Amino acid sequence: MSGPEAVAGATPDKPRMPGAPGSAGMSLACGDVSFSYEEARAPIPALCDVSFELRAGRSLALMGASGSGKSTLLQVIRGLDAPETGAVLLDGAGPADAGYAALQREVGLVFQAPELQLFAPTARDDVAFGPRRLGWPEAQVTSAVDTALDVVGLPPARFAERHPYALSGGEQRRLALAGVLAMRPRLLLLDEPFVSLDPGTRRQLVGILERLKAAGVTLLLATHDVDLAWALCDELLVLGEGRVVAAGPWDFSTAGGRLLAANRLREPFFAELWQRLGRDPRRAPRTAAEAAEALS
Amino acid sequence: MKATIAQYYAGDSLLHRLDPRAKFVAVSALAVALFVRDSFAGLAVYAAAAVLAYVLSGVPFAWFWRAFRPLLWLVALTFLAQLVFAPGAPFFSLWFIHVSWRGLELATYLSLRLVVLVLVGSVLTLTTPSIALTDGLAWLGRPLRRLRVPTDELALMVTIALRFIPTLLVELDTIMRAQRARGADFRRGGLSERTRSLVPVLVPLFVLSFRRADELALAMEARCYRPGAMRTRLHPLRARWSDVVLLVATAAVITAGLLV
Repeated sequence: MSGPEAVAGATPDKPRMPGAPGSAGMSLACGDVSFSYEEARAPIPALCDVSFELRAGRSLALMGASGSGKSTLLQVIRGLDAPETGAVLLDGAGPADAGYAALQREVGLVFQAPELQLFAPTARDDVAFGPRRLGWPEAQVTSAVDTALDVVGLPPARFAERHPYALSGGEQRRLALAGVLAMRPRLLLLDEPFVSLDPGTRRQLVGILERLKAAGVTLLLATHDVDLAWALCDELLVLGEGRVVAAGPWDFSTAGGRLLAANRLREPFFAELWQRLGRDPRRAPRTAAEAAEALS
Repeated sequence: MKATIAQYYAGDSLLHRLDPRAKFVAVSALAVALFVRDSFAGLAVYAAAAVLAYVLSGVPFAWFWRAFRPLLWLVALTFLAQLVFAPGAPFFSLWFIHVSWRGLELATYLSLRLVVLVLVGSVLTLTTPSIALTDGLAWLGRPLRRLRVPTDELALMVTIALRFIPTLLVELDTIMRAQRARGADFRRGGLSERTRSLVPVLVPLFVLSFRRADELALAMEARCYRPGAMRTRLHPLRARWSDVVLLVATAAVITAGLLV
């Protein structure tokens, strides 16, 4: 199994990360964004006055019960749905500003179960779909595809010519992620990326996201997995029935705990452990390694 | 989703509660009767019956209209074709267009008949869930089983197909969004380019459908489904007095339409 190690061993002259050298992450701000779905009898509101900010290079965990509007918010940010009111600002630019469409193209969205969208006869062609749509010259497409495949731990030498449907479930998920990374997004939105992955693949995916974060890509991660969100994200945004119920750093007060429980969430494992040990949960470790170091 | 061709309207009107078999027989008989004898008086009788049925169904006009609007083109086309091509002495001529009184009469009659036909058919589909309709059709098709036509299996196939149309539409929407997020554009370019742009959508949709069909077949087998076996129903069809009344009323309307 070639995991993140394969990437660490990538030749130095190759760009290791999808972000072009020097291109930092993109900042995001939503101001009073509302959206509802057209239905036969009455529109169903999905987002009500959602406002938050995410600075460039930061990572945000988007959480909330099923049906709270997480997926809708991601699609509105990517521009697949236009908000009814309010606006999504990318790098401070709004829809009326010149170059907004180009900024939208630098927002990558990984759908829930993205492996269901694979269609090309080879892994390479599937990953190349996005870059080709961007009109890049073929040499740049090839290098972007190779880099993206490397980043997700599917070295092109072994995987590029394989048929996508001949890969395992976890490999398909990573291939679909490569298809988005090949477009070199500066803001990456992920919708439930960890669902139905085995622990090994999950860990690999965490590794990939950590390295994207280190490369400066802004991350917005919609997930139910509080522990992974705690390990990966700097900030928290909780949605409840389409409204923002909490935004900012994790709040470990009793009220904060109740708020999480009311939204079918819980405190991260290490935060709870730190509370039970009588330590400051805000300084709780993010990973087992950090916990071991702190406790020894 | 906007696919509403006379789509079922959930309600609890008198017509909703009627047996689908009785409704189907009544509507078929009316549809045949509409074509048996050409007279404006007869058409008026059927139109009155159709409007009465529609009013009894309690379906809001907006709902019906949305389904009917696309068919207006067909009605308009019928009208124009009859107007232009019907024989008779023209009272108005322009280049190759010759309009006769006979043509105008025929055009009016045929397009009105089409409207009544659509209205009658819509009342059936608006007040009957598709599953009840297929159940009713399966029952009506039972005599065909003597000819070894697998009517129950056909009905099940239709029911499953209808059941999965909304599911597939949702999946189609998701896949199109995902490919749009990767830069796909389904509205740009000529016909061949647009057709090619559907490949990234259709391939995953087919793969997904086959997988779903496979899973459904396994799940049905796991729940002991056997083709050809005697099946009982959760909601057995039960004819009531109101259904008899419907059939008698329909017979009366048809007789009236034929006699006037």
